[in-house]
Amino acid sequence: MAVGTEGTLVRLVRDEGPWVLASLVRSTGSLQVAEDAVQDAVVRALEVWPVRGLPAQPRAWLTLTARRRAIDLLRREVRRSGKEADSRVLADLERPDLPDASVIADDLLRLIFTVCHPSIAVDVQVALALRTLCGLDTAEIARAMLVSEAAMAKRLTRGRRKIADAGIPYRTPSEADLPARVAGVASTIYVVFTQGHDAVVDDAPERVALCDQAIRLARLTMDLLPDDPSITGLLALLLLQDSRRRTRLDPRGGVVLLCDQDRSQWDRARIADGMSLLGQALRATPTTPDPYVVQAAIAACHAVAPTWAETNWDAIVSWYDVLVAVHDTPVAWLNRAVALSERDGPAAGLSALDTLARRDSRELDGFAPYHGARGQLLLELGRHGEAAAELRRALDQPLPAAVERHLLCQLERCRDRRSGPQP
Amino acid sequence: MPQYALLIYEVGDPDWSTLDTPDKKEAMAGYGEFGATAAAVIRGGAALYPTTTSTVVQRRGGHGGEVVTSDGPFSETKEVLTGFYQVECADLDEALEWASRIPAAWTGGKIEVRPIIDFSSPGA
Repeated sequence: MAVGTEGTLVRLVRDEGPWVLASLVRSTGSLQVAEDAVQDAVVRALEVWPVRGLPAQPRAWLTLTARRRAIDLLRREVRRSGKEADSRVLADLERPDLPDASVIADDLLRLIFTVCHPSIAVDVQVALALRTLCGLDTAEIARAMLVSEAAMAKRLTRGRRKIADAGIPYRTPSEADLPARVAGVASTIYVVFTQGHDAVVDDAPERVALCDQAIRLARLTMDLLPDDPSITGLLALLLLQDSRRRTRLDPRGGVVLLCDQDRSQWDRARIADGMSLLGQALRATPTTPDPYVVQAAIAACHAVAPTWAETNWDAIVSWYDVLVAVHDTPVAWLNRAVALSERDGPAAGLSALDTLARRDSRELDGFAPYHGARGQLLLELGRHGEAAAELRRALDQPLPAAVERHLLCQLERCRDRRSGPQP
Repeated sequence: MPQYALLIYEVGDPDWSTLDTPDKKEAMAGYGEFGATAAAVIRGGAALYPTTTSTVVQRRGGHGGEVVTSDGPFSETKEVLTGFYQVECADLDEALEWASRIPAAWTGGKIEVRPIIDFSSPGA
């Protein structure tokens, strides 16, 4: 087999890495030992393969190399601690063959549930997922998550220690726990995506690529849990949202609103992929709507609208009605109010926001998207003084740079209109 | 098998030495029930008197320094440690499952689950 360019090799190794790692975690019972062993095998592969050519079975090559390395690491640990090595572990590592594909798949699923265990803080889950499931190194994760490399190394260590010391099981959850645990995995993947989505023009490429990493994680999880509609819905949602990536920011880094985006630049392949997954997920949930599937359906309404004016707001408001029924959060209600304002005008939207504010004042007070949406509607209604006050309240909060810039623009419009002649 | 401390935190520094309210009597019955159900995994535990009875010991100036005892700490924080169980479980998930069955978990308190260090095994 011919050896491709260096980029292809790196990609191949990265794709195989998580499978090899998952199998090593099961054999060694230690994420730390498995990670070190796989890391060494990867480095070795990138040295040897360009010279000797690609092995016939790269995964087998990596697994056997990593196992040998793991044996070394465990023996060293025995010498250091005087603690006896587990003979079953060593016997498993000395096997010359690879486990069945189905066993490796189960291993990977176990690894996903382990790093996304609810007892681990979400920022640590995200870091561990990028490290173990996407094969990013510490420096890359640090750049993606906007923290120093030292801080990221510490975060990863904290996660590995928690798994080891607290005895987080390396196991697929029981039938009874599965829905809640799958929801946890989905929400971690969604956090990875939103981090990439909030990236601005001058951010590191690793941060922008978080959207791709999230899509990859969702696809991987879906392959392992093909019957779970919420993961299918999540992947559909990510693909549909990501289809707009090229048009979301202008060249200077400002947010381009959905209504102003150049729809000819939307990624049609992503949309087609997302629509087909959405259909599959909807068929699987005829009577039990899932929040991710419903959000994907809303994203699909936007994706198929030829123009902003031709958007089917009736359908979108209906989907929001379904969403708030199964996912009763202030954010869902807020987005429903915004959709309502598109269908029935800004006054209707504002009155929906007022109703919401009476119900959830505590959550919404100081919540930037709420004040931003309110400011926008007031601006459209010509109530510039009140609009400016709301926009300022939104700007009081820490915001992604692009969003801040957009709100400042809106605030500027309030001033222009106020000083100029009233229509 | 790993052991875990299931630390019970409750609001308002309750005094479990007297069961003077129907709520307390009911909760204590709940603890009795928990103790019976979890008997196979419980390795120890205790209920604690309120923090008003506690004393803090420190040595000032390092090892061999003056022993300073002080009253308290009284519950400056809202939640105080009121008792604990020591349990032996297969993994964290099992410990979390037992923790969720301790009455304080649904009567306004919280259970903190902490792994216990095993000093008996070599190399720990």
